[in-house]
Amino acid sequence: MPIETPPPLLSAKAISKRFGPNFALRNTAFSVRENEVLGLIGPNGSGKTTLFECLAGLLPTDSGEVAFRGRALAPAHRKQSLFYLPDGIRPWAAQPVYWILSFFEALYTKPSGHGVRPSITDLAAALKLEALMKSRVGSLSKGEAKRVLLALGLLTPHPLLLLDEPFDGLDFRQTRDVMALLRSVPLAGRTLFVSIHQLVDAARMCDRLVLLSRGQVVGEGTLPELRAQAGLAEGGLEEIFLALT
Amino acid sequence: MPGVPRFAWLLSKEFRELLASRAFWLLLLMIGPLAGHGFITAVDIYAEASGIHGGPAALSQGLSPLDGMLVPTFGAYDLAVTLLFPFVAIRLISAEKASGAWKLMLQSPASVAAMLAAKCIALLAGWLLAWTPGFAALVLWKLYGGSLYAPEVLNLLLGHLLRVVLSAGVAVAAAAIATGAASAAIATLGFIVGTWALDFIAAGRGGWLQKLASYTPASGLRIFEQGLLRGSTVAVTLTLGIAGFALAGIWLTEGRRLSTRLVRSAGLALLLALTLWGGSLLRGTWDVSENRRNSFPVADEAALRQIRQPLAVTVFLSPEDPRLMDLDRNILGKLSRILPAVNVTYAAHTRSGLFEAAGDHYGEVWYHLAGRQAMSRSTTEPIVLDTLYQLARVPPPVRAETGSVTAAGEFPAWRTAGHPLAVEPRGAAWLYYALWPLAVVAAGWMYFRIRS
Repeated sequence: MPIETPPPLLSAKAISKRFGPNFALRNTAFSVRENEVLGLIGPNGSGKTTLFECLAGLLPTDSGEVAFRGRALAPAHRKQSLFYLPDGIRPWAAQPVYWILSFFEALYTKPSGHGVRPSITDLAAALKLEALMKSRVGSLSKGEAKRVLLALGLLTPHPLLLLDEPFDGLDFRQTRDVMALLRSVPLAGRTLFVSIHQLVDAARMCDRLVLLSRGQVVGEGTLPELRAQAGLAEGGLEEIFLALT
Repeated sequence: MPGVPRFAWLLSKEFRELLASRAFWLLLLMIGPLAGHGFITAVDIYAEASGIHGGPAALSQGLSPLDGMLVPTFGAYDLAVTLLFPFVAIRLISAEKASGAWKLMLQSPASVAAMLAAKCIALLAGWLLAWTPGFAALVLWKLYGGSLYAPEVLNLLLGHLLRVVLSAGVAVAAAAIATGAASAAIATLGFIVGTWALDFIAAGRGGWLQKLASYTPASGLRIFEQGLLRGSTVAVTLTLGIAGFALAGIWLTEGRRLSTRLVRSAGLALLLALTLWGGSLLRGTWDVSENRRNSFPVADEAALRQIRQPLAVTVFLSPEDPRLMDLDRNILGKLSRILPAVNVTYAAHTRSGLFEAAGDHYGEVWYHLAGRQAMSRSTTEPIVLDTLYQLARVPPPVRAETGSVTAAGEFPAWRTAGHPLAVEPRGAAWLYYALWPLAVVAAGWMYFRIRS
């Protein structure tokens, strides 16, 4: 009796997005598997943020479709299945950290059976936010604000979390700590799709990788699989990326 | 906090963001002296007209707190809602768009409608707080011994509340569509200036243009300031305000193509036009003024109600002729509330009336009813009414020599007692020019200090 392969958690097919005459995404296709950490790799301007915003339903696509666990997922319903945490935002700058965390936790008081969410206290400890809880978001440094944003993302109950540049603004030690925290997320039943421009971090952090160049997926798989796609016997992600683009 | 409804958290966020807005604190700071200046000046003039210091006094029946105190005091709020409040409303949207918070909110389980409703409630609550100096004026007036007629006061407050709903709707829609707060502010002020221009252009023109202009923010508020509660004004103003929020909802929902947004906006505009048309057909108008200034004497109204045919009026008076204002307010406005249909044609050729040709019938007002017509140059109520009674062949009510209507228990407007009040505005200057600004500055300083 043949074993049925479960559909991927999320699959994107032929997603295209143009800004005027320029393609930001062109027939982009890939899939995200359950409980993995998938990395989205690409240089600046390759379309990583555009792809995330299209997946989250915040930006209309020109063509293509997104399926969640094998079923087509309309843009208006994406927020029920995935949460996208943008990079470079500073929400509610006038409010204290503890309040926006409480607010975000309260927004999702009725998780629809999507795993167990960490508490604010646990997240504050894991992200070293205890001393910042009374500070206004607007007064935080870039790295501190990034950790607060990560806490917001981790407070959501969605099975799939899209993180845009989660290590941007963090120092080496913070990057290592946050990476350890994010690596533990799949253990709690959630899947991560993260865009990372630091290739070393990506190689350490991700189970699989999607390589994006000029809006097109040029490779998808584990590091050995990508190496094989690039026809390389050895070499790191940088060599693979250069070989595939 | 489990158990607290999601909407309560949304409200809490909006109140926090409102308090974090310097524009809101500036509004609070400025509204006290503005309203205070209106109140103090009004009380001084009212006292002079009432014969303070033994000077000559106006006829007491002409002294109405509505015109003498309420309208000038709350006039400050018209200024504030035009020039200050839109910035507060715009910030509640633009700040979230600019900071990226809106992208997070759009992914939350809360609907865009719920989020906009929370913003609307917070804005209205903030505006009610800004009404404190106005309410203080009512208290001071009563303490001075002044009279207040509750229906007049409540009607005026309703007018100002509708005015702020409209202003909030326009500002929120502009903030949703524009890319930044500055563009939204320019668009909002452009809308206001546009309505002023419409008021000016449409004055005395008649037809659909004047009908349209009667629903501009300034014209709409003027209805309430005259002691009138007009159903069509309430319906149209409220609909416009709500439509502003609905338009904001269309443009704030991300993930839609520009063409989709434009089509939905056009659909909303069509729906709005139909609703406004339906709202404008509402004929219910109530004179809530204490002295029934917007009504004919009851006996005359009973006589006029016998007229079933539509009345056509052709007015050869220019928009800037004060007689036209008298005719509009004292005759035509009242007639339109009584008769089944009053169609007015403004036939003057010039704006001032000074340069009309000899054969242009300038100054004449023609009344056409049931195939008959009559001309009168008068804008005086009894004369015009007698003209109409003759034209309609309706027996006029019997008038006494003094001009009072003989119906039992009825007193015409000019025979109501009036409310002279010859007092100085004691303590008002301290309250509005010192205490209120100090209280706002202290509260603001404490809020921002505690927060930091």
